[in-house]
Amino acid sequence: MAFVRTQKEIRQRAPIWLVTLLVANLIIMAVDARDADGRQKILRVWTQTFASPLQSTSSKVTGATSGFFQQIWNFRRTARENEQLRERLTQIETELHTAQQSAAENERLKELLKLNEQSEIKNVPARVIARDPSVWFNTITINRGTSSGIAVNMPVVTAGGIVGRVITVSPWASQVMLITDEKAGAGAVVGQLGSGALGSVKGRADLGVALIEMRYVSGLEKVENGDYVMTTGQDGIYPPGLNVGRVVDVKSGTATTAHQILIQPGAQLDRLEEVAVLLYHPPPRSVPEQTPQNVERTRR
Amino acid sequence: MSHIKIAVVLSVAIVLQLLLREVWRPLAYIDFPLVVVVYIALQRDAWKALLVGTLAGLIIDAGSGGLVGAGGFSKTLTAYIIYFAATRVNLENPLLRIPVLAAGSLLDSAIYVFWHRVLGYPPAVPFVQTMSYKLIATTIVGTLALYLLDAVVAERSAQRRQFATRRRVARRSTGPLRRR
Repeated sequence: MAFVRTQKEIRQRAPIWLVTLLVANLIIMAVDARDADGRQKILRVWTQTFASPLQSTSSKVTGATSGFFQQIWNFRRTARENEQLRERLTQIETELHTAQQSAAENERLKELLKLNEQSEIKNVPARVIARDPSVWFNTITINRGTSSGIAVNMPVVTAGGIVGRVITVSPWASQVMLITDEKAGAGAVVGQLGSGALGSVKGRADLGVALIEMRYVSGLEKVENGDYVMTTGQDGIYPPGLNVGRVVDVKSGTATTAHQILIQPGAQLDRLEEVAVLLYHPPPRSVPEQTPQNVERTRR
Repeated sequence: MSHIKIAVVLSVAIVLQLLLREVWRPLAYIDFPLVVVVYIALQRDAWKALLVGTLAGLIIDAGSGGLVGAGGFSKTLTAYIIYFAATRVNLENPLLRIPVLAAGSLLDSAIYVFWHRVLGYPPAVPFVQTMSYKLIATTIVGTLALYLLDAVVAERSAQRRQFATRRRVARRSTGPLRRR
């Protein structure tokens, strides 16, 4: 005898199904939220493993389709951009000359200070295969995972600057939290390493992917629009000296208040296609003693 | 609506959700899986609506930077509330679907963000602004999508097509040439 449920039965059982499914979702959510930031999330690894082939395929299809239409669409814009680029090239040539001079000076100073050359950090090039399908978060998925040596918290960069850090790794894909996310952050300095304008950069919900905020820079430090912002390496994620972006807005602080600085990221975060994951392992931090010495002394 | 039809429609919605963002970022504001969930909930089939809500939410969560399960929770609850309303109020009128879609989008966003805030994962975008964009986009595109679903996959439209074919056949067999 075929098992057929009547409308009344369905109506009676619906709340039970609802509660069951809601509880199941709640448990999944709790397990996912339990794993603290900076650790591998087991649930995410599994979902990522199953989702990445679909994302990769859809990325290829979209790339081919949108590429065709975009070529037509971009034709007129290219001509205009060409003119702008010519002007910019002249400007860059001048800047390059200045930069070459600075680099030579930098080399000389390094030798003078007997600084060790920073070891070349190996990197893994990766392709962006998906962006966050929900509109609430700024994450991207790349086509490299643990099989390429990628681990959680490794920095992701482009030629323009830092992009973010790896938050989940599955065998063939990784999820990257962009630097514009509210939960992302990096130790940074305005100007050159060694300047006093230290702070931390962080995303802000109302700024979107266009800008990031720099906090805690002393109001006594001189910061101007157009200044470059570099990583300091103190956050234990990004190596020092990577470009973060350029200062686009400064609300000057005072002796007691910090500057309010907005930075335009150097990497074009809304148009990411190719990125590189730095296989960077930050130097281990010295663990402070559990019981401070003065406490021991007091006890004695 | 058969299981295969539901699976196909849901797959198309999920693929659209993944693809359209790549083409033009604002298209991500259209929540295609939610439109499918609302459509099935309006058919007053509780089990299918709840299951599709959970599945759609979890699949989108898998590729998202948010918590896995938050989308599943919000879409399941939204599906049930719409199902509950549909069993008590007549929502057959196409015009009534517009506020239902809008309410569904609003509810889904609110529950999704609520759980993220409670569990310490604030969204990376402004809540009110994003919710408003999502509501507008999902309601406009969703209304058209519901018409399309009605015309293509609904049982009633299939029956209508079947009757039309039968009538055509019947007319042919009793046509003037035949009578002669």
